[in-house]
Amino acid sequence: MHGVSQTFGSVRALQEVDFVASSRAIHALVGENGAGKTTLMRILYGGLQPDSAEITIDGSPVHFRTSAEAIRAGIGMVSQHYSIISELTCLENLMLGAEPSWALNKAAAERRASELARQMGYSFEWKAPAADLSPAGKQKLEILKLLWRKAKIMILDEPTAMLSPGDSDALFASLKQLAEQGATVIVVTHRLPEVVEHCETVTVLRAGKLVASKAVRDTNLMELAELIVGHSVATSSYEALERRETLFRATGLTVKGYRGDDAVKAADLEIAEGEVVGLAGVDGNGQRELFQAIVGRAKVKAGSISFAGSDWTKRPPSERLADGLRLIPEDRHAEGVIDDWSLTENAALGLQRRHGFARGPLIDQKGRWAAAQHIADRFRTKHGGLNAPMKSLSGGNQQRFVAARALESETRFIIAFQPTRGLDIDGTALVYGAIREECRKGACALIVSFDLDELIEQCDRIVAICNGSVVQPGSGLERDRAAIGRLMVGAT
Amino acid sequence: MKGLGARHIALALLAFLLVWAAVVATKVPPSEAVRSFIDGSMGGPAAWRQTFREMTPLVVTGLAVFLALRAGLFNIGADGQLTMGAAAACHFALAFPGPTGLWLGSLAAMAAGAAWALPAGLIKAYRGGHEVISTIMLNNVAGFLTVWLAAGPMRDMKQQSPTTRLLDKGSFLPNLVEGGPFRLSLALLIGILGVAILAFWLKRTVAGYELSATGANPSAAETAGVNVRAVTIKAMMASGAIAGLAGAFLVQAFEHRFYANFSPGYGFDGLGVALLSGGSPWGLVPSAFLFAVLSSGTSSIQLTGVPKGLNGILLGLLIMVFASVRYRRSRTVGD
Repeated sequence: MHGVSQTFGSVRALQEVDFVASSRAIHALVGENGAGKTTLMRILYGGLQPDSAEITIDGSPVHFRTSAEAIRAGIGMVSQHYSIISELTCLENLMLGAEPSWALNKAAAERRASELARQMGYSFEWKAPAADLSPAGKQKLEILKLLWRKAKIMILDEPTAMLSPGDSDALFASLKQLAEQGATVIVVTHRLPEVVEHCETVTVLRAGKLVASKAVRDTNLMELAELIVGHSVATSSYEALERRETLFRATGLTVKGYRGDDAVKAADLEIAEGEVVGLAGVDGNGQRELFQAIVGRAKVKAGSISFAGSDWTKRPPSERLADGLRLIPEDRHAEGVIDDWSLTENAALGLQRRHGFARGPLIDQKGRWAAAQHIADRFRTKHGGLNAPMKSLSGGNQQRFVAARALESETRFIIAFQPTRGLDIDGTALVYGAIREECRKGACALIVSFDLDELIEQCDRIVAICNGSVVQPGSGLERDRAAIGRLMVGAT
Repeated sequence: MKGLGARHIALALLAFLLVWAAVVATKVPPSEAVRSFIDGSMGGPAAWRQTFREMTPLVVTGLAVFLALRAGLFNIGADGQLTMGAAAACHFALAFPGPTGLWLGSLAAMAAGAAWALPAGLIKAYRGGHEVISTIMLNNVAGFLTVWLAAGPMRDMKQQSPTTRLLDKGSFLPNLVEGGPFRLSLALLIGILGVAILAFWLKRTVAGYELSATGANPSAAETAGVNVRAVTIKAMMASGAIAGLAGAFLVQAFEHRFYANFSPGYGFDGLGVALLSGGSPWGLVPSAFLFAVLSSGTSSIQLTGVPKGLNGILLGLLIMVFASVRYRRSRTVGD
């Protein structure tokens, strides 16, 4: 791709960007939120029409008006939000949109599907609904979808955002195998260790411009971080906390999971004023159910939850929010924002009854506008006006907005699920810095993440969750990587 | 809504051609059909009276459906709620002649409409049963129940057909303008006032915000502390109450009695009115007006030999063209 430029309204998303990827290799495309990575890839995939671009594949110029044309030319893309439809079976998902013929021959399709899976070392229950798949399973199915469509150039946007470290390594092993078989693999990512460990070449974008494009062996983590951010990254500092009053307390908490078994088992957890506690664990070990139980959306089967002396166990979410609970939910689109609504309207979501957003039964229009302005500015959300719909923002900018909203008004307890999902280094530092600041002023925080390194870097202490049980590392080991890693997988 | 592209103009033209073809197929000269259509809907005081009369229940049922839609509920049951409301209003007006009957009847109509919507709200909130199914079934129950009422307990035995006796004049909803062939009922003004109130309530109150959030994304609303169940039940009841009031207006302002098979489908037309109104309640007024013009125009066109069914063709095409313009895939802005 040569000289790619793209503007959205007055925003110049890409300016004269060149991008080259050769076959039999894994290429990384890195940059901050809004740097233009996804835009560049969507242009290659035919999903966007650039203002100018020369795209050549195998030396011959191409021009895709639609994604369908790009797919025919052998380009496949797995976007950040998986396109797996839960209601369909794995096999139906695999074929969707690329059925071999109008009459479905499921037996033949299943043979070919199994053959593809075998080549990759995967195994699938083809007739099972896709809803049962773990995030890693969905990712694998997405990769098989590319192979099913005979893609030669594979684009993966943030493929490891939802995966545990082990699953991420397995994913890159798969990608390496595909590259060795002749594919061109392009990975859009924020996670620099992955780039250094698994990729051959790396292209860095910053604010829509090409900053660098080099072989990974000629660079290192620190240099890449500097290239991406362009200014030095603020590092958070820690001071030892004296033990203060316990604010949040869960005792013997048991929560039923979606499959009917106990997803959280007799969990005990205490968080003191000023503390930032990390909850480490491999995806699917009960984090989600614990989160929903604290929010008040999942029914507590046994045990209790209390905050600052008030018993939350049977109280609805609205009363917990009134007590100062603030959320950064896992699935932004399902729980955090309303895509079609303006930024201003979204600013009030969850805070709609709080001071500054409401005056009695009426909406405080001026207060809400001012708050939206403050929320957007806090983590430098890039947006096209506060009246623009939330869906006009990039994923990372939406996340900045949601995180800032959680810290906006009378915050006493922040519970965040993967708060930096889709955020770059700069955004991550800003969000954690602000959470710590809020806690210093008397709040407390629980951070759920699949990224142990991030938790070690950002939290005061870490507890692990494994198969529904919350386990505390021994004294002095609250930030010990090896100790917590063992607890995460149930080894003691 | 963004500007219209060539494709939309082509679509509108195609729709127009289809209507033209339908008229030509009836072998009535199109020019005569058009003249009759305009004369019957807007050509003179009597035509305007008829159009505004049609518009009144449409604004109110449109309002009922619009409110439910905002909460994410598809209230197909407005017709049944309207019919129950009309029966209740008529009963109280007959039992208490004079203004008392008017007031009590209006309240009873709202209560009856709300009660008729309540089961659908409960089923949706607690069992996840789809309101389209439950409200359609309730429509049928309401239909048969009121036929029985009109033919049995409420019937005026001096009449040939199953109908009640006429209301006392004191229980009529007064006309704002009454002179010669033109009349304008207070009911239309109340309907438009209702539109203004709903517009304000949705935009400016916390309760309206929470209702809209529930409709736009129930999971996000619940996470934001909204009691989604309560909102669902309340929205369904409010929608039913408004539809019931539409039934009361029909009795008090126009028909002055209740009879079997009372509604010619105002509840269903209300659905079209609400869908055509676009994002704002204010759209209900022109939308209901358009439906009313089509209804009175096609009634008049029948005299020239064009079947009344043309109304359905026109409305169907209208809604499809509108939907294709409004709900086309929006282009999202990339990273």
